[in-house]
Amino acid sequence: MTAPAGVLRLRARIELADFPVDAAWSADGGALVIAGGEGAVLLADTGAAPAARQIGAHRGGALAVAWQRAGRLFASSGQDGTVLLWDARAPAPRPIHEGKAWCDRLGFADHGRLLAAAAGRVLHVFDAAGATLHALAGHTGVIAALAWRPKSSEIAVAGNGGARLHRLEAEPAVRDYPAAGACLTAGWNADGRLLAAGMQDGRVQLWNVATGQPSQLTGHGGRIIAADWSTNGRYLATAAGEELIAWDFSARGAQGIEPIALGAHSERLSALAFRPGTSMLVSAARDRRLLLWRVASAAQPADAHLLREDCTLLRFSRDGRQLAVGDAAGGLSLYECG
Amino acid sequence: MSARVPVTVLTGFLGSGKTTLVNRILSEQHGRRIAVIENEFGEVGVDHELVIGAEEELFETSNGCICCTVRGDLIRILAQLRKRRERFDAILIETTGLADPGPVAQTFFIDEELREHYLLDAIVTLVDARHIEQQLKSSPVALEQIGFADVLLLNKTDLVPATELSQLERRLHAINGTASIVRTHNADVALGRVLNIGAFDLDRALARDEDFLEPARPFEWAGLYTLPAGEYELQQRSSAEPAADAHAHDHGHAHDHEHESNDHGAAHPHGQLRMVDLLLLPSAAEAAPDEPGGGSDASRIDALIEDATRRFDGDAVLLGPHAALPPQVLGRLELDHARHVRLHLPRAGSWVLFCEHAPAEFGGLLPGLRPEHERSFGSHHHDAEIGSIGLTDSRPLDPGKVNDWLSYLLQSRGQDILRMKGVLNFAGEARRYVFHGVHMVFDGRLEREWPPLSARCSRLVFIGRGLERAEFEAGFESCIA
Repeated sequence: MTAPAGVLRLRARIELADFPVDAAWSADGGALVIAGGEGAVLLADTGAAPAARQIGAHRGGALAVAWQRAGRLFASSGQDGTVLLWDARAPAPRPIHEGKAWCDRLGFADHGRLLAAAAGRVLHVFDAAGATLHALAGHTGVIAALAWRPKSSEIAVAGNGGARLHRLEAEPAVRDYPAAGACLTAGWNADGRLLAAGMQDGRVQLWNVATGQPSQLTGHGGRIIAADWSTNGRYLATAAGEELIAWDFSARGAQGIEPIALGAHSERLSALAFRPGTSMLVSAARDRRLLLWRVASAAQPADAHLLREDCTLLRFSRDGRQLAVGDAAGGLSLYECG
Repeated sequence: MSARVPVTVLTGFLGSGKTTLVNRILSEQHGRRIAVIENEFGEVGVDHELVIGAEEELFETSNGCICCTVRGDLIRILAQLRKRRERFDAILIETTGLADPGPVAQTFFIDEELREHYLLDAIVTLVDARHIEQQLKSSPVALEQIGFADVLLLNKTDLVPATELSQLERRLHAINGTASIVRTHNADVALGRVLNIGAFDLDRALARDEDFLEPARPFEWAGLYTLPAGEYELQQRSSAEPAADAHAHDHGHAHDHEHESNDHGAAHPHGQLRMVDLLLLPSAAEAAPDEPGGGSDASRIDALIEDATRRFDGDAVLLGPHAALPPQVLGRLELDHARHVRLHLPRAGSWVLFCEHAPAEFGGLLPGLRPEHERSFGSHHHDAEIGSIGLTDSRPLDPGKVNDWLSYLLQSRGQDILRMKGVLNFAGEARRYVFHGVHMVFDGRLEREWPPLSARCSRLVFIGRGLERAEFEAGFESCIA
């Protein structure tokens, strides 16, 4: 039983003992790891009878989780400054890092051999066995976002003052991409040529990574809370306040980038995500509406659902068939995407 | 949507007692759930537990505009605190001793998400009574921290003589005319004076707008006297000086003289006073006793304040030796050459003498005569780089013109204006317009109606660096409907 093409169908809702802050799908879409605002690390089985159980905790609050793209390892981190590495076959917490600063960003490289964790201004890099390979300091600001460059061992970190690209294997190198202001999000387009950062003041900062050439997209009035690229790299969606914009990169050059205003939310946006392999976008806002957009023909949302509470996160499974929606009531809803 | 959580910003120099206060709030059984964000160490404290938080970080924008400067770490920490199911009753943010609290306050105006869940409640500045004079001399930040405050906790008062405390309070009031001053020692203050005060709550600001907008005056002191007609020596004759003046009235007493000398020697907050402006006004004999408070000594002074303020803005007449100052003339007394200068009372009755400085600062006025009532006003600034300007006017204002003026002011002087507050009387509008701002960030709206029998009077206060009264008066004048 699947949802009709191009719509979302609510399949199940899992009640959690905690407020979901972050979540990551397993490679096969059969499980989700969830970070709880009060500290719980939860593992949800998304099969026929979806349910979640607590497998561990971060004192003070869990902040981030990540799962290998094609593996069974996942990681969690939190306000206790620790990074835990987990194996889905026998989930037991294995601390691989302890520090003082909140550890609030995590990410596996596409190839799964490297894990990065940001704590304050320092980027910690581990191998898949959990050994620390690097503790990269010297960033101009607290790391607000990190993004592994597609199919590489290069990672971009962004924060106040701009972005920095670390090449970690082959010939290690560092390159800076300065920006006046604070970057809050970071994301690569499909071919890894363009890095986009959403800024505190509403601008979208773009860099051609090879040439270092910066450009900016202006249109938002306030802080960019979320940004995501479509899988094919044609669209970049950004949200700030009540505004949702999809930027069309099909034309060449920054001048040719067209903003498509997706205006159907009546309150501040909470989250957005592109469905992998498509130009379908989901967005959620304080108006408690969950909207599905076909960006190419986006006068109206293609589907709409009312959420029980404010959305805290939107996560598509790798194959794009399932969508997890976290809410402030402490629930995780699973939607099928046709 | 649940009610917004009030946020108190605590500032003050190192050693002013912030840590003592924070520790009390964290450990006392007050039944409230309070999260304390201690930025000096990047820690967040919740119910005795300390959690290391985000590193302090200023987010500036590409245009370099300070009004857009916010605290990135606060946005991050407060977003995380919100993700606990158990809600906090209050948040206390301790700023570093050397930081301008502007960006912290602005963060709550600018960031939509924070604004939705948190409400800036008040800026509380701890002042070390013993060391503040020295800190004010050495650091502009100390001055700014006082300028930003809604509440000044004058701490360590046990280490400073009472006379100095009064002078210090006048000094603080000169810098910040709207902050309430609370004396403490060991930072021992009722939590109600620090948390959930509502200084930024437009609604609550109105409820106590009687004192929230006491404007700064060009005089620091007024005394009410009832005297027979005649001439009265203004200053005590120096003992070294022969009593050569035939008109001298023999009211001086050695005892008083000594007492005042001691006061004089206690402290000189304004450095060496050389001149002081004086104004004598007749107290209205016909002050209607049936008016609320009418006829009381206090109200007889109050009734003359606006008139005196206007006259103080005019040119003063220099009082040479043997001069006699008549009523309704602004006179300037040269303190080094003030002997034999008298006050001329053309008829018997009640008179109010307004004086630019508190008489205690320069050896007293009218030796031997005690005023029936006296009142101190916030001292206007002399050497302070930061001061307050207050405007009061009953003429109705044009909302469009006010908007133009405030926009112009914020663009041209926003960096210099630390705080502003006001209640405005708009023409044809039954409700009061209330506003407040931090630097160039501004929040205002129409609030409750004017009370039926009250005088609809606009009142504004600006606290800032190098503000010129004339500039603000001219701007205000341009807003009259």
